[in-house]
Amino acid sequence: MDFFTSMEVSASGLAAERTRMNMASSNMANANTTRGADGGAYKRKSVALESVDVMRGPALQFDNVFEGTAKGVRVAAIEEDQAPPRLEYDPGHPDSDINGYVAFPNVNVVEEMVDMITASRAYEAGVTALGTAVSMAERATEIGG
Amino acid sequence: MINGLNKSTDAMAGGLTFHRRRHAVLAGNVANADTPGYRPLELERSPVANLDLSLERTSGLHQDSLGSVDAGDAETFYDDEGAEPGLDGNTVSVDRELAKVDANRVRYTATSRIISKRMAALRYAATDGAG
Repeated sequence: MDFFTSMEVSASGLAAERTRMNMASSNMANANTTRGADGGAYKRKSVALESVDVMRGPALQFDNVFEGTAKGVRVAAIEEDQAPPRLEYDPGHPDSDINGYVAFPNVNVVEEMVDMITASRAYEAGVTALGTAVSMAERATEIGG
Repeated sequence: MINGLNKSTDAMAGGLTFHRRRHAVLAGNVANADTPGYRPLELERSPVANLDLSLERTSGLHQDSLGSVDAGDAETFYDDEGAEPGLDGNTVSVDRELAKVDANRVRYTATSRIISKRMAALRYAATDGAG
């Protein structure tokens, strides 16, 4: 394990948080999309994260056992929220049903904003950890100088 | 003399290795700040690793004290005592982890500076006070 392992761990966190950010943006952008991928109202998408070992292959075999405990993270799945759509009475809407109701996406913009802010904060934390790994590695190159 | 220098620099190099590994573990905690069910890990050097390094062997039968400074004498454990897990079971406190990351960096930097000073002392001696 070297500093690149730390960097890989932090980078995996950054990628995961960026995906969450993308999903929150996508959900907000489609908060009123009545024609989603399957023809009906857009369904809110959420990101499922899981922790993974970043140490793989030879590195894990030849190094000490406990080194495998530095956990990275990856996006395990992007799932559609199966909550029912939000029904609004708007007979003039082109996608209103026979009773005049329109099925709007099951997206709560406030929830998405909260998700976006937490993702953003977690991203910043990841950048800090990454920067620390870089400065430590640089410090190591100055030994004996 | 050379042995003495090597001994202490070896010990400090072991310290650098330990702090580097600990950083990877802490970075993993930060990366998993939103992973459901994740519990933060911590890396700690076992007390054996802090044995006094100044011990001199006066007989071949004596136990070598140097073997204990290897960073391999570290163990991981979950560090979330008293933390209240959220709905997703995650117990990471990002602020706490970042504070640890910073403290760990300071220790790493301090150790590497000391090694540099050691090297400088050796150079000074080797160049007869001219370097």
